[in-house]
Amino acid sequence: MFGTPTFRQQFPIFQHHPTLVYLDSAATTQKPQVVIDGITNFYQKENANIHRGIYDLAAKATQKYESVRQKVADFIGAKNRSEIVYTSGTTAAINLVAHSFLLPRLEQGDEVLVSAMEHHANLLPWQMACKAKGANLRIIPIDKAGNLDIVAYQTILSAKTKMVAIVHISNTLATINPIAEMIELAHQKNIPILVDGAQSTAHYPIDVTTLDCDFFTFSGHKLFGPTGIGVLYGKAAHLEAISPYQFGGDMIRTVTYQDATFAPAPQKFEAGTTNIAGVIGLGYAIDFINQFDKKAIATYVKELGNYAREKLLMINDLEIIGNAQNKTGIVSFILKNAHPHDVATFLGEANIAIRAGHHCTQPLMDFYGIPATCRASFSIYNNRAEIDFLVAEVKGIQAFFG
Amino acid sequence: MNDRLKQLYKTVILKHNKAPFHYEKKEAATHQLEAYNPLCGDRFKLFLEVKEGIIESIHFHGYGCAISKASTSVLAKNLEGKTMKQALALCGEFQQVVSPDVTAKNELEEFEAFAAAKDFPGRLTCATLSWEAVQSFLVDKE
Repeated sequence: MFGTPTFRQQFPIFQHHPTLVYLDSAATTQKPQVVIDGITNFYQKENANIHRGIYDLAAKATQKYESVRQKVADFIGAKNRSEIVYTSGTTAAINLVAHSFLLPRLEQGDEVLVSAMEHHANLLPWQMACKAKGANLRIIPIDKAGNLDIVAYQTILSAKTKMVAIVHISNTLATINPIAEMIELAHQKNIPILVDGAQSTAHYPIDVTTLDCDFFTFSGHKLFGPTGIGVLYGKAAHLEAISPYQFGGDMIRTVTYQDATFAPAPQKFEAGTTNIAGVIGLGYAIDFINQFDKKAIATYVKELGNYAREKLLMINDLEIIGNAQNKTGIVSFILKNAHPHDVATFLGEANIAIRAGHHCTQPLMDFYGIPATCRASFSIYNNRAEIDFLVAEVKGIQAFFG
Repeated sequence: MNDRLKQLYKTVILKHNKAPFHYEKKEAATHQLEAYNPLCGDRFKLFLEVKEGIIESIHFHGYGCAISKASTSVLAKNLEGKTMKQALALCGEFQQVVSPDVTAKNELEEFEAFAAAKDFPGRLTCATLSWEAVQSFLVDKE
Protein backbone atom coordinates (compact mmCIF):
# COMPACT_ATOMS: atom_id res chain seq x y z
CA MET A 1 0.00 0.00 0.00
CA PHE A 2 2.93 2.40 0.61
CA GLY A 3 4.02 4.15 -2.56
CA THR A 4 0.83 3.38 -4.52
CA PRO A 5 -1.03 6.15 -6.36
CA THR A 6 -3.84 5.95 -3.78
CA PHE A 7 -1.39 6.25 -0.91
CA ARG A 8 0.34 9.20 -2.54
CA GLN A 9 -2.98 11.04 -2.76
CA GLN A 10 -2.62 11.80 0.94
CA PHE A 11 0.28 14.11 0.04
CA PRO A 12 -1.08 17.11 -1.90
CA ILE A 13 2.36 18.04 -3.26
CA PHE A 14 2.02 15.15 -5.70
CA GLN A 15 -1.30 16.47 -6.99
CA HIS A 16 0.29 19.85 -7.61
CA HIS A 17 3.39 18.27 -9.17
CA PRO A 18 2.09 15.08 -10.79
CA THR A 19 5.44 14.13 -12.34
CA LEU A 20 7.55 14.96 -9.30
CA VAL A 21 9.87 12.18 -8.18
CA TYR A 22 10.75 13.30 -4.69
CA LEU A 23 13.87 11.54 -3.44
CA ASP A 24 14.96 14.00 -0.79
CA SER A 25 13.10 12.90 2.31
CA ALA A 26 16.29 12.81 4.37
CA ALA A 27 16.32 16.61 3.95
CA THR A 28 12.62 16.99 4.69
CA THR A 29 9.57 14.82 4.15
CA GLN A 30 6.47 15.90 2.25
CA LYS A 31 3.39 16.70 4.34
CA PRO A 32 0.15 14.75 4.33
CA GLN A 33 -3.13 16.63 3.95
CA VAL A 34 -4.12 15.81 7.54
CA VAL A 35 -1.10 17.70 8.89
CA ILE A 36 -1.70 20.71 6.65
CA ASP A 37 -5.40 20.72 7.55
CA GLY A 38 -4.61 20.34 11.23
CA ILE A 39 -2.40 23.43 11.23
CA THR A 40 -4.85 25.44 9.13
CA ASN A 41 -7.71 24.38 11.35
CA PHE A 42 -5.81 25.45 14.45
CA TYR A 43 -5.14 28.92 13.05
CA GLN A 44 -8.67 29.26 11.70
CA LYS A 45 -10.65 27.96 14.64
CA GLU A 46 -8.52 27.35 17.69
CA ASN A 47 -5.75 29.95 17.79
CA ALA A 48 -4.80 31.48 21.15
CA ASN A 49 -1.66 31.71 23.20
CA ILE A 50 -1.13 28.93 25.69
CA HIS A 51 -0.70 28.59 29.45
CA ARG A 52 -1.73 32.03 30.67
CA GLY A 53 -5.17 32.49 29.23
CA ILE A 54 -8.29 32.00 31.33
CA TYR A 55 -10.75 32.18 28.46
CA ASP A 56 -11.99 29.09 26.70
CA LEU A 57 -9.92 29.35 23.48
CA ALA A 58 -6.69 29.69 25.45
CA ALA A 59 -7.58 26.80 27.70
CA LYS A 60 -8.33 24.59 24.71
CA ALA A 61 -5.11 25.61 22.91
CA THR A 62 -3.15 24.78 26.05
CA GLN A 63 -4.90 21.46 26.40
CA LYS A 64 -4.14 20.54 22.80
CA TYR A 65 -0.52 21.68 23.05
CA GLU A 66 0.02 19.60 26.18
CA SER A 67 -1.83 16.58 24.80
CA VAL A 68 0.68 16.47 21.96
CA ARG A 69 3.40 16.21 24.60
CA GLN A 70 1.80 12.99 25.82
CA LYS A 71 1.49 11.82 22.22
CA VAL A 72 5.21 12.43 21.66
CA ALA A 73 6.07 10.63 24.89
CA ASP A 74 4.03 7.59 23.81
CA PHE A 75 5.49 7.77 20.29
CA ILE A 76 9.08 7.39 21.48
CA GLY A 77 8.38 5.38 24.61
CA ALA A 78 9.16 8.02 27.23
CA LYS A 79 7.93 7.22 30.73
CA ASN A 80 6.57 10.67 31.40
CA ARG A 81 5.45 13.58 29.27
CA SER A 82 7.52 15.94 31.40
CA GLU A 83 10.57 14.38 29.76
CA ILE A 84 9.52 15.87 26.43
CA VAL A 85 10.86 19.36 25.67
CA TYR A 86 9.71 21.17 22.54
CA THR A 87 12.52 22.82 20.61
CA SER A 88 12.80 24.34 17.16
CA GLY A 89 14.42 21.15 15.88
CA THR A 90 17.19 18.63 16.38
CA THR A 91 19.89 21.29 16.14
CA ALA A 92 18.37 23.39 18.92
CA ALA A 93 17.85 20.29 21.06
CA ILE A 94 21.49 19.24 20.79
CA ASN A 95 22.67 22.79 21.45
CA LEU A 96 20.53 22.86 24.58
CA VAL A 97 22.16 19.69 25.93
CA ALA A 98 25.69 20.79 24.98
CA HIS A 99 25.19 24.19 26.56
CA SER A 100 23.12 23.50 29.64
CA PHE A 101 23.95 19.90 30.50
CA LEU A 102 27.52 19.35 29.35
CA LEU A 103 29.25 22.70 29.56
CA PRO A 104 28.91 23.22 33.35
CA ARG A 105 30.13 19.64 33.94
CA LEU A 106 33.04 19.74 31.52
CA GLU A 107 36.60 20.41 32.63
CA GLN A 108 39.97 20.75 31.00
CA GLY A 109 41.31 17.39 29.85
CA ASP A 110 37.86 15.76 29.80
CA GLU A 111 36.70 14.00 26.67
CA VAL A 112 33.54 14.04 24.57
CA LEU A 113 32.88 11.31 22.00
CA VAL A 114 31.13 11.63 18.69
CA SER A 115 31.39 9.43 15.60
CA ALA A 116 33.12 10.16 12.29
CA MET A 117 29.73 10.26 10.54
CA GLU A 118 28.04 13.02 12.51
CA HIS A 119 25.96 15.73 10.87
CA HIS A 120 27.38 19.16 11.71
CA ALA A 121 24.43 19.55 14.12
CA ASN A 122 25.80 16.77 16.29
CA LEU A 123 29.42 17.86 15.93
CA LEU A 124 29.72 21.62 16.26
CA PRO A 125 27.87 22.06 19.60
CA TRP A 126 30.27 19.55 21.20
CA GLN A 127 33.25 21.03 19.40
CA MET A 128 32.37 24.46 20.80
CA ALA A 129 31.87 23.10 24.33
CA CYS A 130 35.23 21.31 24.22
CA LYS A 131 37.00 24.41 22.94
CA ALA A 132 35.45 26.53 25.66
CA LYS A 133 36.72 24.24 28.41
CA GLY A 134 39.95 22.85 26.95
CA ALA A 135 38.40 19.40 26.68
CA ASN A 136 39.09 16.96 23.85
CA LEU A 137 36.61 15.87 21.22
CA ARG A 138 37.34 12.25 20.35
CA ILE A 139 36.07 10.72 17.13
CA ILE A 140 34.77 7.15 17.03
CA PRO A 141 36.19 5.81 13.77
CA ILE A 142 34.32 4.11 10.95
CA ASP A 143 35.55 1.73 8.26
CA LYS A 144 35.42 2.52 4.55
CA ALA A 145 32.07 0.78 4.21
CA GLY A 146 30.63 3.13 6.81
CA ASN A 147 30.34 0.74 9.76
CA LEU A 148 31.08 2.27 13.13
CA ASP A 149 34.08 0.66 14.83
CA ILE A 150 32.47 -0.60 18.02
CA VAL A 151 35.74 -2.08 19.30
CA ALA A 152 37.49 1.26 18.96
CA TYR A 153 34.53 2.89 20.70
CA GLN A 154 35.01 0.60 23.70
CA THR A 155 38.68 1.51 23.78
CA ILE A 156 38.09 5.25 23.62
CA LEU A 157 35.42 5.23 26.36
CA SER A 158 37.25 6.05 29.56
CA ALA A 159 37.06 7.73 32.92
CA LYS A 160 37.81 10.98 31.10
CA THR A 161 34.70 10.67 28.89
CA LYS A 162 31.99 13.08 30.03
CA MET A 163 29.51 12.60 27.17
CA VAL A 164 28.82 10.49 24.12
CA ALA A 165 26.74 11.87 21.25
CA ILE A 166 25.90 9.55 18.40
CA VAL A 167 23.77 9.73 15.29
CA HIS A 168 21.23 6.90 15.09
CA ILE A 169 21.13 6.83 11.28
CA SER A 170 23.69 8.62 9.13
CA ASN A 171 22.06 11.10 6.74
CA THR A 172 24.93 10.61 4.28
CA LEU A 173 25.91 6.95 4.58
CA ALA A 174 22.55 5.41 5.58
CA THR A 175 24.35 3.48 8.34
CA ILE A 176 22.12 2.40 11.22
CA ASN A 177 24.35 2.52 14.27
CA PRO A 178 24.17 -0.10 17.04
CA ILE A 179 22.85 2.44 19.54
CA ALA A 180 21.49 -0.07 22.08
CA GLU A 181 24.95 -1.60 22.43
CA MET A 182 26.61 1.82 22.48
CA ILE A 183 24.29 3.08 25.21
CA GLU A 184 24.96 0.01 27.31
CA LEU A 185 28.72 0.39 26.93
CA ALA A 186 28.57 4.07 27.89
CA HIS A 187 26.43 3.32 30.92
CA GLN A 188 28.82 0.64 32.14
CA LYS A 189 31.13 3.58 32.77
CA ASN A 190 28.34 5.92 33.92
CA ILE A 191 28.70 8.13 30.88
CA PRO A 192 25.60 9.93 29.60
CA ILE A 193 24.75 9.49 25.92
CA LEU A 194 22.68 11.49 23.46
CA VAL A 195 21.18 9.89 20.38
CA ASP A 196 20.47 12.09 17.34
CA GLY A 197 17.33 10.54 15.90
CA ALA A 198 16.73 13.06 13.11
CA GLN A 199 16.89 10.37 10.41
CA SER A 200 15.43 7.47 12.36
CA THR A 201 12.31 8.68 14.14
CA ALA A 202 10.02 8.74 11.07
CA HIS A 203 10.80 5.26 9.87
CA TYR A 204 12.01 3.19 12.82
CA PRO A 205 10.39 2.12 16.08
CA ILE A 206 11.92 4.15 18.90
CA ASP A 207 11.66 3.29 22.59
CA VAL A 208 13.83 5.57 24.68
CA THR A 209 12.97 3.74 27.90
CA THR A 210 14.15 0.38 26.58
CA LEU A 211 17.15 2.00 24.92
CA ASP A 212 17.84 3.81 28.20
CA CYS A 213 19.55 6.71 26.40
CA ASP A 214 19.95 9.91 28.42
CA PHE A 215 18.86 12.22 25.62
CA PHE A 216 17.14 11.68 22.29
CA THR A 217 16.46 14.35 19.68
CA PHE A 218 14.43 14.62 16.50
CA SER A 219 12.79 17.12 14.15
CA GLY A 220 9.14 17.31 13.18
CA HIS A 221 9.72 18.14 9.54
CA LYS A 222 11.53 14.88 8.89
CA LEU A 223 8.50 12.91 10.06
CA PHE A 224 5.80 14.45 7.87
CA GLY A 225 5.29 17.37 10.26
CA PRO A 226 5.99 21.09 9.96
CA THR A 227 9.39 22.79 10.07
CA GLY A 228 10.50 24.71 13.13
CA ILE A 229 9.42 22.13 15.68
CA GLY A 230 11.54 19.42 17.25
CA VAL A 231 11.85 17.44 20.41
CA LEU A 232 14.40 16.91 23.10
CA TYR A 233 13.76 13.85 25.22
CA GLY A 234 15.78 13.86 28.42
CA LYS A 235 15.63 11.57 31.42
CA ALA A 236 13.67 13.28 34.18
CA ALA A 237 16.66 13.41 36.54
CA HIS A 238 18.79 15.17 33.92
CA LEU A 239 16.14 17.70 32.96
CA GLU A 240 15.54 18.50 36.61
CA ALA A 241 19.24 19.00 37.27
CA ILE A 242 20.14 21.25 34.37
CA SER A 243 19.66 24.98 34.05
CA PRO A 244 17.43 26.66 31.51
CA TYR A 245 18.98 27.47 28.14
CA GLN A 246 16.98 30.57 27.32
CA PHE A 247 15.26 32.94 29.68
CA GLY A 248 12.03 34.89 29.43
CA GLY A 249 8.31 34.48 29.73
CA ASP A 250 6.46 31.27 30.54
CA MET A 251 9.44 29.50 32.10
CA ILE A 252 9.47 31.01 35.59
CA ARG A 253 8.08 30.42 39.06
CA THR A 254 8.83 33.76 40.66
CA VAL A 255 10.55 36.87 39.39
CA THR A 256 11.85 40.00 41.13
CA TYR A 257 13.98 42.71 39.57
CA GLN A 258 17.12 41.04 40.87
CA ASP A 259 16.30 37.35 40.90
CA ALA A 260 14.17 34.54 39.51
CA THR A 261 13.25 30.95 40.16
CA PHE A 262 12.20 28.67 37.37
CA ALA A 263 9.35 26.37 36.51
CA PRO A 264 10.03 22.63 36.55
CA ALA A 265 10.97 20.78 33.35
CA PRO A 266 9.90 20.86 30.62
CA GLN A 267 8.46 24.41 31.02
CA LYS A 268 11.78 25.88 32.10
CA PHE A 269 13.19 25.02 28.67
CA GLU A 270 10.34 26.59 26.73
CA ALA A 271 10.86 30.32 27.17
CA GLY A 272 8.65 32.71 25.28
CA THR A 273 5.76 31.84 23.02
CA THR A 274 6.78 28.59 21.41
CA ASN A 275 5.86 27.24 18.00
CA ILE A 276 2.33 26.32 19.07
CA ALA A 277 1.01 25.57 15.60
CA GLY A 278 4.17 23.55 15.00
CA VAL A 279 3.40 21.43 18.05
CA ILE A 280 -0.17 20.95 16.86
CA GLY A 281 1.14 19.94 13.41
CA LEU A 282 3.59 17.53 15.01
CA GLY A 283 0.69 15.91 16.83
CA TYR A 284 -1.13 15.30 13.56
CA ALA A 285 2.07 13.97 11.97
CA ILE A 286 2.42 11.44 14.78
CA ASP A 287 -1.25 10.44 14.37
CA PHE A 288 -0.53 9.97 10.68
CA ILE A 289 2.44 7.67 11.34
CA ASN A 290 0.58 5.80 14.07
CA GLN A 291 -1.92 4.52 11.48
CA PHE A 292 0.83 2.25 10.22
CA ASP A 293 3.00 -0.45 11.68
CA LYS A 294 6.38 1.21 12.13
CA LYS A 295 8.19 -2.04 11.46
CA ALA A 296 6.42 -2.18 8.10
CA ILE A 297 7.54 1.39 7.36
CA ALA A 298 11.14 0.50 8.24
CA THR A 299 11.07 -2.59 6.04
CA TYR A 300 9.53 -0.73 3.12
CA VAL A 301 12.05 2.10 3.22
CA LYS A 302 14.98 -0.30 3.66
CA GLU A 303 13.84 -2.37 0.70
CA LEU A 304 13.56 0.70 -1.51
CA GLY A 305 17.13 1.54 -0.55
CA ASN A 306 18.34 -1.97 -1.36
CA TYR A 307 16.53 -1.93 -4.69
CA ALA A 308 18.06 1.44 -5.61
CA ARG A 309 21.53 0.23 -4.67
CA GLU A 310 21.18 -2.91 -6.72
CA LYS A 311 19.99 -0.99 -9.82
CA LEU A 312 22.41 1.93 -9.51
CA LEU A 313 25.38 -0.41 -9.18
CA MET A 314 24.65 -1.74 -12.67
CA ILE A 315 25.77 1.63 -14.03
CA ASN A 316 29.42 1.80 -15.06
CA ASP A 317 31.73 4.05 -13.09
CA LEU A 318 29.16 4.67 -10.39
CA GLU A 319 30.30 4.28 -6.82
CA ILE A 320 28.07 4.10 -3.77
CA ILE A 321 29.39 5.81 -0.66
CA GLY A 322 28.12 4.08 2.46
CA ASN A 323 27.84 0.31 2.33
CA ALA A 324 27.42 -0.57 5.96
CA GLN A 325 25.90 -3.90 6.89
CA ASN A 326 22.89 -2.33 8.55
CA LYS A 327 21.51 0.58 6.56
CA THR A 328 18.34 2.42 5.62
CA GLY A 329 16.75 3.88 2.48
CA ILE A 330 19.37 6.51 1.75
CA VAL A 331 21.81 6.10 -1.15
CA SER A 332 24.81 8.37 -1.66
CA PHE A 333 26.61 7.92 -4.95
CA ILE A 334 29.17 9.54 -7.20
CA LEU A 335 29.77 9.23 -10.93
CA LYS A 336 33.29 9.11 -12.25
CA ASN A 337 32.93 11.85 -14.83
CA ALA A 338 30.05 14.00 -13.60
CA HIS A 339 30.05 16.26 -10.58
CA PRO A 340 27.11 15.80 -8.18
CA HIS A 341 25.79 19.28 -8.97
CA ASP A 342 25.72 18.60 -12.67
CA VAL A 343 23.94 15.33 -11.95
CA ALA A 344 21.41 17.11 -9.70
CA THR A 345 20.77 19.74 -12.38
CA PHE A 346 20.11 17.08 -15.01
CA LEU A 347 17.86 15.13 -12.65
CA GLY A 348 16.09 18.34 -11.67
CA GLU A 349 15.19 18.88 -15.31
CA ALA A 350 13.65 15.40 -15.29
CA ASN A 351 11.69 16.46 -12.19
CA ILE A 352 13.67 14.15 -9.94
CA ALA A 353 14.55 15.82 -6.64
CA ILE A 354 17.78 14.57 -5.13
CA ARG A 355 20.38 16.39 -3.05
CA ALA A 356 23.96 17.07 -4.09
CA GLY A 357 26.65 18.34 -1.79
CA HIS A 358 28.38 17.48 1.44
CA HIS A 359 25.08 16.96 3.33
CA CYS A 360 26.41 18.91 6.33
CA THR A 361 28.99 16.19 6.92
CA GLN A 362 32.18 17.83 5.66
CA PRO A 363 34.64 15.86 7.83
CA LEU A 364 33.02 12.67 6.56
CA MET A 365 33.51 13.82 2.97
CA ASP A 366 37.18 14.47 3.81
CA PHE A 367 37.41 10.92 5.18
CA TYR A 368 36.29 9.57 1.82
CA GLY A 369 38.42 12.11 -0.04
CA ILE A 370 35.44 13.50 -1.95
CA PRO A 371 33.88 16.97 -1.82
CA ALA A 372 30.31 15.93 -2.47
CA THR A 373 27.92 13.12 -3.32
CA CYS A 374 24.51 12.75 -4.93
CA ARG A 375 22.02 11.51 -2.39
CA ALA A 376 18.67 9.88 -3.04
CA SER A 377 16.60 9.21 0.07
CA PHE A 378 13.31 7.39 0.27
CA SER A 379 10.14 7.45 2.25
CA ILE A 380 6.75 5.74 2.29
CA TYR A 381 5.38 7.66 -0.71
CA ASN A 382 8.18 6.46 -3.00
CA ASN A 383 8.07 3.33 -5.14
CA ARG A 384 10.21 1.16 -7.38
CA ALA A 385 9.01 2.79 -10.59
CA GLU A 386 10.50 6.07 -9.38
CA ILE A 387 13.81 4.35 -8.72
CA ASP A 388 13.75 2.80 -12.20
CA PHE A 389 13.25 6.29 -13.64
CA LEU A 390 16.11 7.66 -11.53
CA VAL A 391 18.42 4.89 -12.71
CA ALA A 392 17.52 5.43 -16.37
CA GLU A 393 18.20 9.16 -16.06
CA VAL A 394 21.51 8.61 -14.26
CA LYS A 395 22.54 6.26 -17.07
CA GLY A 396 21.82 9.01 -19.57
CA ILE A 397 23.85 11.53 -17.55
CA GLN A 398 26.76 9.12 -17.31
CA ALA A 399 26.67 8.69 -21.08
CA PHE A 400 26.52 12.45 -21.65
CA PHE A 401 29.55 13.25 -19.53
CA GLY A 402 31.23 10.04 -20.72
CA MET B 1 18.12 16.02 -22.72
CA ASN B 2 15.94 19.10 -22.96
CA ASP B 3 16.70 22.47 -24.55
CA ARG B 4 17.35 24.21 -21.27
CA LEU B 5 20.09 21.71 -20.46
CA LYS B 6 21.50 22.03 -23.96
CA GLN B 7 21.73 25.78 -23.40
CA LEU B 8 23.47 25.34 -20.06
CA TYR B 9 25.85 22.59 -21.11
CA LYS B 10 27.01 24.18 -24.35
CA THR B 11 29.86 22.62 -26.30
CA VAL B 12 32.17 25.43 -25.21
CA ILE B 13 31.53 24.61 -21.56
CA LEU B 14 31.87 20.87 -22.00
CA LYS B 15 35.14 21.36 -23.87
CA HIS B 16 36.59 23.52 -21.12
CA ASN B 17 35.36 21.03 -18.52
CA LYS B 18 37.04 18.10 -20.23
CA ALA B 19 40.26 19.85 -21.14
CA PRO B 20 40.61 22.87 -18.89
CA PHE B 21 43.12 25.60 -19.71
CA HIS B 22 46.31 25.57 -17.62
CA TYR B 23 44.90 23.00 -15.21
CA GLU B 24 47.90 22.49 -12.95
CA LYS B 25 49.36 23.66 -9.66
CA LYS B 26 51.97 26.41 -9.83
CA GLU B 27 53.03 26.74 -6.23
CA ALA B 28 55.78 29.23 -7.18
CA ALA B 29 53.30 31.75 -8.65
CA THR B 30 53.40 35.26 -7.20
CA HIS B 31 49.80 35.02 -5.99
CA GLN B 32 47.57 32.17 -4.88
CA LEU B 33 43.84 32.66 -4.51
CA GLU B 34 41.15 30.34 -3.30
CA ALA B 35 37.72 30.17 -4.87
CA TYR B 36 35.55 28.25 -2.43
CA ASN B 37 31.83 27.72 -2.11
CA PRO B 38 31.11 26.30 1.34
CA LEU B 39 27.54 25.45 0.35
CA CYS B 40 28.51 22.97 -2.34
CA GLY B 41 32.15 22.26 -1.56
CA ASP B 42 33.55 23.45 -4.90
CA ARG B 43 37.08 24.62 -4.31
CA PHE B 44 39.70 25.84 -6.76
CA LYS B 45 43.17 27.19 -6.18
CA LEU B 46 44.18 29.85 -8.65
CA PHE B 47 47.85 30.59 -9.30
CA LEU B 48 48.48 34.04 -10.72
CA GLU B 49 51.86 35.18 -11.95
CA VAL B 50 51.70 38.96 -11.76
CA LYS B 51 54.63 41.10 -12.90
CA GLU B 52 54.63 44.88 -13.12
CA GLY B 53 50.86 45.06 -13.12
CA ILE B 54 50.42 42.43 -15.80
CA ILE B 55 48.92 39.00 -15.21
CA GLU B 56 51.47 36.92 -17.06
CA SER B 57 49.87 33.58 -16.43
CA ILE B 58 46.98 31.93 -14.61
CA HIS B 59 46.88 28.27 -13.65
CA PHE B 60 44.30 26.53 -11.54
CA HIS B 61 43.57 23.28 -9.79
CA GLY B 62 40.84 21.86 -7.61
CA TYR B 63 37.42 20.35 -7.64
CA GLY B 64 34.15 21.63 -8.98
CA CYS B 65 31.23 20.94 -11.26
CA ALA B 66 31.34 21.26 -15.04
CA ILE B 67 30.08 24.84 -14.89
CA SER B 68 32.50 26.10 -12.26
CA LYS B 69 35.45 24.28 -13.79
CA ALA B 70 34.72 25.54 -17.30
CA SER B 71 34.15 29.05 -16.01
CA THR B 72 37.51 29.02 -14.21
CA SER B 73 39.17 27.69 -17.33
CA VAL B 74 37.63 30.49 -19.43
CA LEU B 75 38.78 32.96 -16.79
CA ALA B 76 42.37 31.71 -16.90
CA LYS B 77 42.45 31.74 -20.67
CA ASN B 78 40.98 35.23 -21.04
CA LEU B 79 42.73 37.08 -18.23
CA GLU B 80 46.23 35.94 -19.11
CA GLY B 81 48.38 38.70 -20.50
CA LYS B 82 45.98 41.40 -19.33
CA THR B 83 46.77 44.31 -17.09
CA MET B 84 45.09 44.29 -13.71
CA LYS B 85 42.78 47.02 -14.92
CA GLN B 86 41.80 45.15 -18.08
CA ALA B 87 41.29 42.01 -16.02
CA LEU B 88 38.99 43.82 -13.62
CA ALA B 89 36.95 45.13 -16.53
CA LEU B 90 36.63 41.59 -17.89
CA CYS B 91 35.45 40.36 -14.49
CA GLY B 92 32.71 42.97 -14.66
CA GLU B 93 31.85 41.89 -18.19
CA PHE B 94 31.52 38.26 -17.18
CA GLN B 95 29.29 39.16 -14.25
CA GLN B 96 27.05 41.01 -16.71
CA VAL B 97 26.69 37.88 -18.84
CA VAL B 98 25.20 35.90 -15.96
CA SER B 99 23.31 38.78 -14.37
CA PRO B 100 19.56 38.12 -14.54
CA ASP B 101 18.97 41.87 -15.06
CA VAL B 102 21.09 42.11 -18.19
CA THR B 103 19.77 41.00 -21.56
CA ALA B 104 22.56 42.32 -23.84
CA LYS B 105 24.76 39.62 -25.34
CA ASN B 106 28.50 39.44 -25.00
CA GLU B 107 30.55 39.17 -28.19
CA LEU B 108 32.91 36.68 -26.67
CA GLU B 109 31.47 33.19 -27.27
CA GLU B 110 33.32 31.82 -24.27
CA PHE B 111 31.59 34.37 -22.05
CA GLU B 112 28.17 34.23 -23.63
CA ALA B 113 28.15 30.43 -23.24
CA PHE B 114 27.40 30.96 -19.54
CA ALA B 115 24.32 33.13 -20.11
CA ALA B 116 21.98 30.15 -19.66
CA ALA B 117 23.04 29.93 -16.00
CA LYS B 118 20.50 32.74 -15.51
CA ASP B 119 17.76 30.14 -15.96
CA PHE B 120 19.24 27.97 -13.22
CA PRO B 121 19.34 30.11 -10.07
CA GLY B 122 20.90 27.24 -8.13
CA ARG B 123 23.83 27.17 -10.53
CA LEU B 124 24.63 30.87 -10.91
CA THR B 125 27.26 30.75 -8.18
CA CYS B 126 28.99 27.93 -10.06
CA ALA B 127 29.55 30.26 -13.00
CA THR B 128 30.75 33.18 -10.90
CA LEU B 129 32.78 31.39 -8.21
CA SER B 130 36.31 31.97 -9.51
CA TRP B 131 35.46 35.29 -11.13
CA GLU B 132 34.41 36.69 -7.78
CA ALA B 133 37.61 35.47 -6.13
CA VAL B 134 39.76 37.12 -8.80
CA GLN B 135 37.64 40.25 -8.78
CA SER B 136 38.03 40.80 -5.06
CA PHE B 137 41.78 40.17 -5.38
CA LEU B 138 42.03 42.79 -8.13
CA VAL B 139 39.93 45.29 -6.21
CA ASP B 140 42.20 44.84 -3.17
CA LYS B 141 45.25 45.41 -5.34
CA GLU B 142 43.90 48.59 -6.87
